[in-house]
Amino acid sequence: MNSHGVRDEFFQEAQELIDTLAKDLLALEMATRGGSEEPELINDVFRSVHTLKGLSGLFSLDRLARLSHVLEDRLDDLRMGRLPVTPSTLDALFRAIELLGRMLASARRGGSDNDPELESLMVSLNPQAAAPAVVAVDELFELDIDPDIVRVLTEMEEHRLRTNVRNGTPMYRLRARLPIDRIDRAIDELKQRARPLGELIAYFPTGDLPADATLFELDILFASSSPFEQLQSRLESGDLSIHRIARRGHSQTVMPVASAPSVEEPSIPQKLARSEVPNVPAPLLTQRVEPMQLDSPFADQSPTGENRSLERTNGGKTPVPPKPEEERASSHSSRAVHSVRVDIRRLDHLMNVLSELAIVRGALSRMSERVRQRPELREFSGELHRLHRTFDRNLAEMQSGILEVRMVPLGQVFDRLARGVRQVARQHNKEIRLVVTGADTEVDKLIVEELSDPLLHIVRNSIDHGIETQPDRLAYGKPVEGTIALNAFQAGNHVIIEIEDDGAGIDPERVIATAVRRGLIGASEAEAYSTQDAINLLFLPGFSTRTEVTDLSGRGVGLDVVKTNIGRLGGVVDVQSERGIGTKFTITLPISLAILRALLIGVAGRTYALPLSSVAEATLLDPRALRTVEGREVVSLRGETLPICRLDRLFGHAEVNDGSRHASRHFVVVIALGGRRIGMVVSELFGQQDIVIKALGPSLAGVRGFAGATDLGDQRVGLVIDAAALLDELLSANERRGLEGGRVGRYTA
Amino acid sequence: MSGATPREIRGNRRRALASGEDREEYLGFVIDREFYAVSLALVREILKPPPVTEVPRSPPDVLGIVSVRGQITTVLDLRLRLGAGAAPQTLHSRVLLVQGNDEVLGLLVDEVTQVYRLAPAEIESTSSVLGNNVGSHVAGIGRPRVRGLRNEQHSSDDEVLILLDLASLLG
Repeated sequence: MNSHGVRDEFFQEAQELIDTLAKDLLALEMATRGGSEEPELINDVFRSVHTLKGLSGLFSLDRLARLSHVLEDRLDDLRMGRLPVTPSTLDALFRAIELLGRMLASARRGGSDNDPELESLMVSLNPQAAAPAVVAVDELFELDIDPDIVRVLTEMEEHRLRTNVRNGTPMYRLRARLPIDRIDRAIDELKQRARPLGELIAYFPTGDLPADATLFELDILFASSSPFEQLQSRLESGDLSIHRIARRGHSQTVMPVASAPSVEEPSIPQKLARSEVPNVPAPLLTQRVEPMQLDSPFADQSPTGENRSLERTNGGKTPVPPKPEEERASSHSSRAVHSVRVDIRRLDHLMNVLSELAIVRGALSRMSERVRQRPELREFSGELHRLHRTFDRNLAEMQSGILEVRMVPLGQVFDRLARGVRQVARQHNKEIRLVVTGADTEVDKLIVEELSDPLLHIVRNSIDHGIETQPDRLAYGKPVEGTIALNAFQAGNHVIIEIEDDGAGIDPERVIATAVRRGLIGASEAEAYSTQDAINLLFLPGFSTRTEVTDLSGRGVGLDVVKTNIGRLGGVVDVQSERGIGTKFTITLPISLAILRALLIGVAGRTYALPLSSVAEATLLDPRALRTVEGREVVSLRGETLPICRLDRLFGHAEVNDGSRHASRHFVVVIALGGRRIGMVVSELFGQQDIVIKALGPSLAGVRGFAGATDLGDQRVGLVIDAAALLDELLSANERRGLEGGRVGRYTA
Repeated sequence: MSGATPREIRGNRRRALASGEDREEYLGFVIDREFYAVSLALVREILKPPPVTEVPRSPPDVLGIVSVRGQITTVLDLRLRLGAGAAPQTLHSRVLLVQGNDEVLGLLVDEVTQVYRLAPAEIESTSSVLGNNVGSHVAGIGRPRVRGLRNEQHSSDDEVLILLDLASLLG
């Protein structure tokens, strides 16, 4: 009797669960049609099914339990984002719920919970049949790629990889051997060829030395849904081979169910195996075109030298002991507590809010000041002042807290660089010792992502053109092993990265000769060039784009690109070189792009913001200190001659003459970046303010000299001057092209 | 149904008239005394001209930038974009926030008139009216036969709307 009552209760509860399930699934379907994702809803469905499974097991309704179990697995896939919510997935789920209802009803009537549809449905719930895109907890580790490779991907690359994996796009590894002397071009050409077929996600030097020393070997992660045959016919050549990257794992969890149904499904600890021990291989059930992974560079060269390759860890069996179901579920949640992955745009949003608060702080400060002037309000004044102070302190703390969250160590980029060094060095038959210091120096995540390419460029140049050949080094009495020192450190609000080699140094005469030959400078001009001027020539576009790059003994491969990239980050590149001793590239970067302290300046009635990090000093312009040198205005400041630039003219603003006696009063703001200085003449100094730089729209992309804009409060927007770009524009004595009005670009440092 | 007020009935009739098949909504405005319209679907918002910060070295038809709820937005002077001369802003001047090709842009216009719902029959192709020498930014000529929602004084006969193709105009 009693057991009967319990049984009734079970059926009732089970029926309720199934009803709820059906309702939630419908809601999920609606939401999916509407294009939204409903993780909470999926979670609810998952929990209902989990409960149903437990109940069924309790009442020995084995088939019901088995179906619930498979269903639970699929729902888990959905909720963890390993499986997309597609109409066909939803169909299968609906069928399963219907079936559950039928089986339950049958069992309630005292019949068996068997149903003819059960086996076929079980098969269709198999993820292979349900959807091609089967993606694991960390789906990236499911790709047959060395986890170390995955770790050094930039966020963008990782995101693209993830998206492609998620979409089920087949991944390929293109191994290309490209001529080292025209590597940039070769990569461009390869891009042109490959783009129509798919997406190039990331490049890695393989570190392998091709027999032909003029070739450079690259591995490229490539996502493409084009048929393999088409890729082969369009891309494959003697210098490029295509390998499909297998996707490992997942299917194993359900295959046993489909092929050998049994109530006690072996609880294969798939999720744990994948997420905690990502490099443990699993049986490869996905169709694989080529058994490439055994010799894969993705598998065998972690920067640490640790061998994580597939064959070492014994391909095939899953060596992790099975874990009970509940533990598996709980370990998910407990792991989630410790770290959170945040979209950087959310942090940007918080920064925006903070900048609004900074404006409030300004108003508060002004009010506090006003109150202080009123003796009768003295009591309030003290209180307000204290409040203001507290607010100030907390705001500053919050600001630095958010900035800190965005910071990542430079080591991420340096690891990548180490691979490049190894490869280029072997290519050139040079022995290079890479000495890295300050890998734990932190910079803004966005900056780190953009740094990888420029740094690789510089290092490649150092090995290629800087470090001498072994016989030469011996002859000069240098150690056979060349040294490249990579040094990063923080200096105030900047991060400095130095790349120093002990090579031959730059030969200014050859550089000048090359520039003259290329028509970048006139022969007569060249005579006046100092060594430093000559070195700056290396950064001119056009210096190295010709094909005969290799006949240069100096540097110059794409250094203009390096400079542009660094400039975009608000940084500057400097080069110092001593013949026979070596060359040092110094990159100076702002620590963060998100918020910065700016000097607000007035130019002809407009307000501009100038990042304080680039301002050396600001003083009143003494008209008697003005001089003209070859038609250019300079000012002598404490015995130093400083080229100046009148911002109102540069920006084409008509001079505002308000008739006041200060009409002719001006200030000089000295901009100093990476050893170069210029004075900007402005009419007002409004003081300092923390600003958040916001990008200008794409329609203003062609406008040079501004890093963005910022809210100044009271609905007003001010442009943020890109000091590095202006400095460059004004100081590059050699730039001949593209400068409007001919007014700028004539100053010499 | 039976309890509908006269006002509701009028509204229903107007909606029935206007919601005829395939009618598309356009927002009408004035530039240099000519009547223009753009697809209403592309218009996000209509603003009274906010204080604009000019951007040195930008193309001449760029009026400047404004901050719309924290978002830096470029404002174009549509007079200049359409080749009319510059004119000072008036009380009627408005900025349309429109979805451009890859960003939201502000367009300064002399005056916003009304929303038109045009049936295909009320749109003439440009070439039949003006020949082939018309800029590609003109998508057609609208001749609304039904009066607009705001019953204005124009009779439908003298209303001629230049329908702008924003994608091409802003491209």
